[in-house]
Order: sequence, then C-alpha cells, then structure tokens
Amino acid sequence: MKAYCKLFACSVLYFVFNGTNSYAQQSSKLSDPEIASVAVTANQIDIDAAKLAKEKSKDQDIIKFAETMMNDHQAVINQAVALVKKLNVTPKDNATSQKMSADAANTKKILQSKSGKDFNKAYIDNEVAYHKAVIDAVQNVLIPQAQNAELKQLLQDIMPALKTHLEHAEMIQKIFNK
Amino acid sequence: MIKLNRDLKNYVILLSLLFFNNCNFDVQKDHPKLYVVEIKQMQFQPALLKVHAGDTIEWVNHDFVTHDVTEETNKDWSSSPLAAGTSWRMVINKNTDYYCSIHQVMKGKLVIDR
Repeated sequence: MKAYCKLFACSVLYFVFNGTNSYAQQSSKLSDPEIASVAVTANQIDIDAAKLAKEKSKDQDIIKFAETMMNDHQAVINQAVALVKKLNVTPKDNATSQKMSADAANTKKILQSKSGKDFNKAYIDNEVAYHKAVIDAVQNVLIPQAQNAELKQLLQDIMPALKTHLEHAEMIQKIFNK
Repeated sequence: MIKLNRDLKNYVILLSLLFFNNCNFDVQKDHPKLYVVEIKQMQFQPALLKVHAGDTIEWVNHDFVTHDVTEETNKDWSSSPLAAGTSWRMVINKNTDYYCSIHQVMKGKLVIDR
C-alpha cells in the first residue's frame, strides 16, 4: 500500500512538473497571449481538482481548503480575464497549456479512483506538489518571459496567494501524515 | 495696586493655561484611538499591534481574494467574509490572537499596552 502511495505521489509530481515548469523551460519563449492562456489553465486545473474534492471528501479541512481554492483561483482568473480584455489580447492556446490540461486529466483519473482517507491524502499531496510546481513556473518562467508590464505585475501579485495556498496545504498534509 | 492686579491677572492666566493643558493631556490619553490593519499580500500588516483597551481596530482588505478576521483561541468572534476592497471594525479590550479562517496560515496579534 505504501509503495502504491509513493508511486501515486511520484506520478502526480511527474505530471505536474512536466506540465508546467520543466516543459515551459524546454519550449520556445512564450508570448504574452500564451502566458495568459497558461495562467488561466493553471488556475482552472486547481478549481477542477477542488470541485472533485468537494464531491468526494467528507473531511472538513479538505472541504474548506477546496472551497478556498475554488474562490481564490476564480478571483485570479477574473483578474486575468479583465486584464486581457483591457489589453485587447486573446489568450492563445499553446503546447504548455495543452500539456498541462492533458496531465491534469490523468491526475483527475487517479484521484477519481480513490475514496475516503486515501482520496483526502492523495488530494492534499497533489495540492502541495501542484502549488510548488506552479510557484516555480510563475517565478522562473512566466514572470521573466512576460513582456507587458501589467501582465508581469498581475503574475507578481498572485505569488503571495500561491505561497499561502502552499503553506496551508502543507499544514493539512502534516495532519494527514500524523 | 495696579501692579498687584496685573500680577494677579498673570497668575490667573498661568494657572488657567496649566489647568487646560493638563485637561487636554488627560483627554488625549484616555480618548480611544482608531488603528488600521491592512490586509495585503496575504498578510495582516502590522501583524503585531500594541493598543489600549477600548481602541478600535479597522481591518482593510487590499487583496483581490476574500479574507476574514477571526479570534483564534476560542473562535469567540469573527467578521463576516471581507471581499476585496471592504473593511471591518471592532473595539478591542483584551490581548487577542486572531487569524484568517479562510487562509489559516495568516495570523495577527493585538496586545493591550498597559
């Protein structure tokens, strides 16, 4: 069982890291419309995972955390949509956002196959790994590559929320690991 | 006689000044103050605030996400959710640890300065 859990955690990390940072670093430089698409996709992925957690979990810590993820990431999407409208830019689907969506679908399948405590642990482990990967990608790929000053500022503004989410997820993870 | 009156007048003025000065000082000391704690970049700023009993604290949410302000130890009180750009006030009478129950790692402390 432990070996299976480790395998699951590794597969989540593989999907997450390949879906964001390492993939983005390997690919050619992203344009601002592509960065906007990656940002919206990354937030939507976490909203979808949170919706699944609300459906499947009965744990109050997990449910409350999932609600926070849904609300906060939707607020980020709203900010991004407002900015691209203001800048008259259309988010452009690209290899990075496509890969992120495909990997998220795989992660969702794994999460859907679990229930009870196994689901809770798998969900919060994924949240820790996902937020680490997204923080890394935003900090080291998206912010440096963004050309428009307002887009760059928006990406910088969401960093404190992402770091707080990670800390919060790690706090819950510790409870499940006791 | 004229000099005596002038001295007496000066003395009265001096006493009045001292009296009113002390009155003003006492009023300033006892008058409850308003302090502002800004919620920005997912932090309460300042996170530690020294106040006097009876002072009012106003929390202003500058973030783009919703927060709240909740007494941490016994959950004695809580603001309603504070949407972006909104604020909430409360009079504080004792030392208080508080946090955001939505983002539970965000914490603040109010210390009554005696």
